[in-house]
Amino acid sequence: MSTTWYLLVSAVVFCIGAGGILVRRSPLVILLCLELMLNAANLALVAFSRANGNQDGQIFAVIVMVVAACEVAVGLGLIVAIYRRKLPVDVDELRELQG
Amino acid sequence: MSQYGWLILGFPLAGTVLIALTWKRLPARAHGVIGTAAIAGAFVCSVLALLKLQSLPSDQRQVVAVGWDYAKSVGVDAELTLLLDPLSIFMCLVVAGVSTLIHLYSTAYMASDEGFSRFFAYLNFFVFSMLLLVLAGNFLVLIVGWAFVGAASYLLISFYFRRTTATKAGIKAFVINVVGDVGLVLGTYFLFKHLHTLDFVKAFERTNETFTRNDGDLVAGCLLLLVGAFAKSAQVPLHTWLPDAMEGPTPVSALIHAATMVTAGVYLIARMYPLFEQAPAAADVGAVIGAATLLIAATIALVVTDLKRVIAYSTMSQIGYMIMAVSSAAYAAGLFHLLTHAFFKALLFMAAGSVISAMGGLQDLDKMGGFRKALPFTYGCMVVGGLALAGVPPFSGLFSKDEIIALEFERGGFHAVLGVIGYLGSFLTGVYTFRMIFRAFHNDPVPEAAELIRGHLAHHEVPVNPATGEEEDSEVGFPGPEHHIAEREPAMKVAMGALAVGAIGLGVLQVPGVTRVVHTFLEPTFADSRYYAELEPSTGSSWIGLAVGTVMALAGIALAYRLWVKDRRAPALIRARLAPVHAFLANKWYFDELIDLVVVRPSAWFGRFAANTFERLVVNGVLVDGTSGVVRAGSAAVRAIQSGFLRAYAALLLGGLTAVALYFLISAQ
Amino acid sequence: MTIHLALLLFAPLVFALIGAVAPPRATAPLALAGAVVALAFAVALVLDFDHTQRGLQYLTDDEWIPALGIHFKLGVDGLNLWLVGLTTLLFAATAVWTLVRPQERPRAWAFHMAVAETAVLGAFLAQDLALFVFFFDLMLVPFAFLLLGWGGPDRRPVTLKLMIYTLVGSLLMLAAAVATATLTAQASGGSITFVLADLAKVHLGQGTQRLLFAGFALAFLIKMPGLLVHGWMPDAYRQMPMPAIAVFSAVLSKVAAYGFLRIVLPLFPDATLDFQLVLMLLSVGGIVYGSAMAFTQTNLRLILGYSSLAQLAFITLGIFSLRPEGVQGSILQAVNHGLVVLPFFFIVLLASERAGGSEDIRDLGGLAFRGPVIATLALIVAFATLAIPGSANFAGEFFILLGAFKAYVALACLAFTGVVLASVYVLRAYIRTFHNRAGPRVEGGDLTGRDRLVLVPLVLAILAFGLYPQAALRDGEQAVGGASSAVLTGVRSVP
Repeated sequence: MSTTWYLLVSAVVFCIGAGGILVRRSPLVILLCLELMLNAANLALVAFSRANGNQDGQIFAVIVMVVAACEVAVGLGLIVAIYRRKLPVDVDELRELQG
Repeated sequence: MSQYGWLILGFPLAGTVLIALTWKRLPARAHGVIGTAAIAGAFVCSVLALLKLQSLPSDQRQVVAVGWDYAKSVGVDAELTLLLDPLSIFMCLVVAGVSTLIHLYSTAYMASDEGFSRFFAYLNFFVFSMLLLVLAGNFLVLIVGWAFVGAASYLLISFYFRRTTATKAGIKAFVINVVGDVGLVLGTYFLFKHLHTLDFVKAFERTNETFTRNDGDLVAGCLLLLVGAFAKSAQVPLHTWLPDAMEGPTPVSALIHAATMVTAGVYLIARMYPLFEQAPAAADVGAVIGAATLLIAATIALVVTDLKRVIAYSTMSQIGYMIMAVSSAAYAAGLFHLLTHAFFKALLFMAAGSVISAMGGLQDLDKMGGFRKALPFTYGCMVVGGLALAGVPPFSGLFSKDEIIALEFERGGFHAVLGVIGYLGSFLTGVYTFRMIFRAFHNDPVPEAAELIRGHLAHHEVPVNPATGEEEDSEVGFPGPEHHIAEREPAMKVAMGALAVGAIGLGVLQVPGVTRVVHTFLEPTFADSRYYAELEPSTGSSWIGLAVGTVMALAGIALAYRLWVKDRRAPALIRARLAPVHAFLANKWYFDELIDLVVVRPSAWFGRFAANTFERLVVNGVLVDGTSGVVRAGSAAVRAIQSGFLRAYAALLLGGLTAVALYFLISAQ
Repeated sequence: MTIHLALLLFAPLVFALIGAVAPPRATAPLALAGAVVALAFAVALVLDFDHTQRGLQYLTDDEWIPALGIHFKLGVDGLNLWLVGLTTLLFAATAVWTLVRPQERPRAWAFHMAVAETAVLGAFLAQDLALFVFFFDLMLVPFAFLLLGWGGPDRRPVTLKLMIYTLVGSLLMLAAAVATATLTAQASGGSITFVLADLAKVHLGQGTQRLLFAGFALAFLIKMPGLLVHGWMPDAYRQMPMPAIAVFSAVLSKVAAYGFLRIVLPLFPDATLDFQLVLMLLSVGGIVYGSAMAFTQTNLRLILGYSSLAQLAFITLGIFSLRPEGVQGSILQAVNHGLVVLPFFFIVLLASERAGGSEDIRDLGGLAFRGPVIATLALIVAFATLAIPGSANFAGEFFILLGAFKAYVALACLAFTGVVLASVYVLRAYIRTFHNRAGPRVEGGDLTGRDRLVLVPLVLAILAFGLYPQAALRDGEQAVGGASSAVLTGVRSVP
């Protein structure tokens, strides 16, 4: 099976994730979508690794997973903290970064 | 020889420093002694220098004493040099001699003043500066002395510094004198540009070969030097500071504003004679201004009612004679008048000081009268001084003044007109001098005079500023609570007596056809002059001139007698009939108003414009706010992107990423 | 005799670093020791300097960043000798000032002052363009902290304003400096260098010179401050702590004037000639404008501020007369102005202490009655400030105006109005402070023994310098005069 199909799936998943980030307002869902995008990238990495016949891409994928786990931990922590402080769980309401 | 030059300067400077350093440690009286002794020392040194100079052959009577390099660099050759020649020694003798007597007078006159030590420190500093001025051997040292006497004059005018009138007069005098300094410096530049030296001796040697007659830059330079001379010597139109300078204590008026400093302009022109003779256009301006001043000042003196200001205007008028003389190449005559004037004018001021003391500090002639019996010695001195000033034989003033006038006629041309003005001035001098004497000393005694006849010196319970009538700051010990009159103070008597002898007798130095001491003494200095030796009126015409001068002076005195002693209602009638003229004279020809209009107000306007408009609109408005405005507008545009919407950021990121990716895709093909 | 300039340069900093770890009591004495060591070095330098030998002396030359051709090169000649002396003297006086009037947080204060002294000395001594730029910008850092930490109530916005103004100039200068080095390397075909002597050997094109000139000139004019770019000055003068503003006015402004002489004239002679008239007009404008402003102000600090503007304009006028007389006068006047401004600020402090803290002449008056010694010392300082003939300030102005007179007679005549106006505003300030009747809250006595330690040495220095300005002129001639003048040769060789 040629690499193209893997990449196609990867692109579709990436776009679903990106679209989700752009349209959803709940930070929880945005975090989920972010994971989708990362895993789409992982898929592409593994596919290339297989196509090239070396293990570099797979090692990258493992590292991305570790980073994703950390990121989820921090992100979920933030969301819980927001929830605890009775702030709206909505990224459009949380706009203290406005210049 | 040169060591005498340094000693002449060293004594007064040491006096100043000594008094300043011991002002708390020694009693005030000691400072009077130190101050007087220092000046006496300078006088003795001047006499020794004179004797030494006379022992030299005539063509070597020009000694340059070099101190150290002052500012000698890149072509400017300013060393600290003194020039000892008959002219400078003559001036030293006048300055140190009169100063010694005035210091002596001050030890008594200022005795009860809180600022006694300060007064003597300033006075010694003044004498040092004046001697530096006359001994200067190059332009830069001259300018230094020139400015130092201005500074000393400022300090002494605002000596009673708690009076706003005094501080105002002080700053006025200082600023006008700075204008003079600027003229002097700028004039020096014009000359230095061509002569390439600041040294007097070298500059004068090069003058005739460097400049053609009436060369443009030379005339400009000389005119600017004249600005300096006019500012210092209170010549029209830079004279307005001198009457106000009478705010200073009376000995200051006698020393600085009559006998010495104000004659510096005369000395300057005489010293620079090789320049002025090569630039006759500038010299003529000097002569005309001198004549104008002598007339203008004399007319104002007719109506002024402040005793010291009458004498101040008469000083202006007499210096007008001297400026006219030295600008017309009558050097010896001008300097001779400087000498006699120093004596009789200092004497007049001292006598006036005694009268003012008797009045408890008041100076208004309207409030005076009948002091003849109360103050017999002062009266005597005042009359001697007055007769010398008016020019009545055999008093000294006649010989010096009429020598000037005779030489003006001898010079011929338009100078003859100046001579006529001189005679007119003689007449007016007689009138205003004796108006002052008659009003102060004759007629019915005022209460203060009556009290003094009974043996008691009048005192005012509340001290007031004589100029404004404003009550004085009571905690201030100056002017002191006590007043001192010549009749009770031997020191004052000695000083005035000595001056009176001079005022009577100094005429013998230059009796036409008999003696010519001043002339001969100064001859080596003016040896290269084009006019000096030839300008010699015949003895006969001189004596005719003396006779005319005497007649003019006596006519003036007679008129004064008629108006202010015999028919005392006449002045009021004349004043009523000639009201516009009187107003014109009483307002001093509106010179103050003119200067205010032309100089002071535009400057003040410019200052206000700079502060209120330019600084606010241009510097802070356009430059500061404008720059920050541009930055603010730019940042406002960029800031709009920072909406805070997380998803907007994400979209921007994706869009940007896509754009970059697309760019590479397209460019790769 | 060899004197290591690096020792002079870093002596204050080393002592400050020791002071930072020593007990707080020792801070002020240690800071004073650092300043005095530097002063001793400078005095030795002045005494040992050989004015008959041309060129830089006591050279220190090490490679600093070889890849960029930047050297750690220090040297002394007639241009900076007396300015180094002035800097060390005034910082020593400020250290004494801090000793008699302790500041809050003394360790931090002493450290900032030491950094400032090292930075100023570095800027004066640097013979490498990059080194100069480094020290020139370093000067600003301690003063920003001094203003922020010890300043008046409005210090925050004022610090920002000062920073922005000077940084704009500094960045332009940095860009111009980098451009100068690279363009010179291009023009000569050699490797890149920032050493001034090497840069001066290469002649850049006229258009290039103009741009670079503008960059440097703007930086220096802002620092002085010059007319039109002085917007930061009134606020900073009002808000800075007194000793800091005294040093700022007395020393830092001179670095800018010195920069013109050391960098602009030798490196960009064509552009200097092109812009001569512009700069002279700007200077005359500054003289008249600063003087006029000074006699409308009532705050003594601002009177001094605007008078400094006028005085610095005199110095610029002398430099851009491009005559040896004018340049000599400018060097002399730079020293003189520093020498009178610092004691003047101290006198303002003394006066305000006796008038309930007010620095406004409307609240002052009559101090001479209870404080005759202060009044006398202040009189000497005031007369020197208005450049009375006989003071070294007059000698400086005499030379400056002579140079200007030789360049443009009319401009010199206009500049003389500044001399007259100076006498008006200085005497006005003096009279309203010391003479007239006492102000409503004026009380207190004469100079105390401790304050004497600050004021008397400086007044003696003014008097001594007035008697013998030749000392500075002679050494200045080493760099200015003659056919191979370090400053004017380039300008002269241009047709």
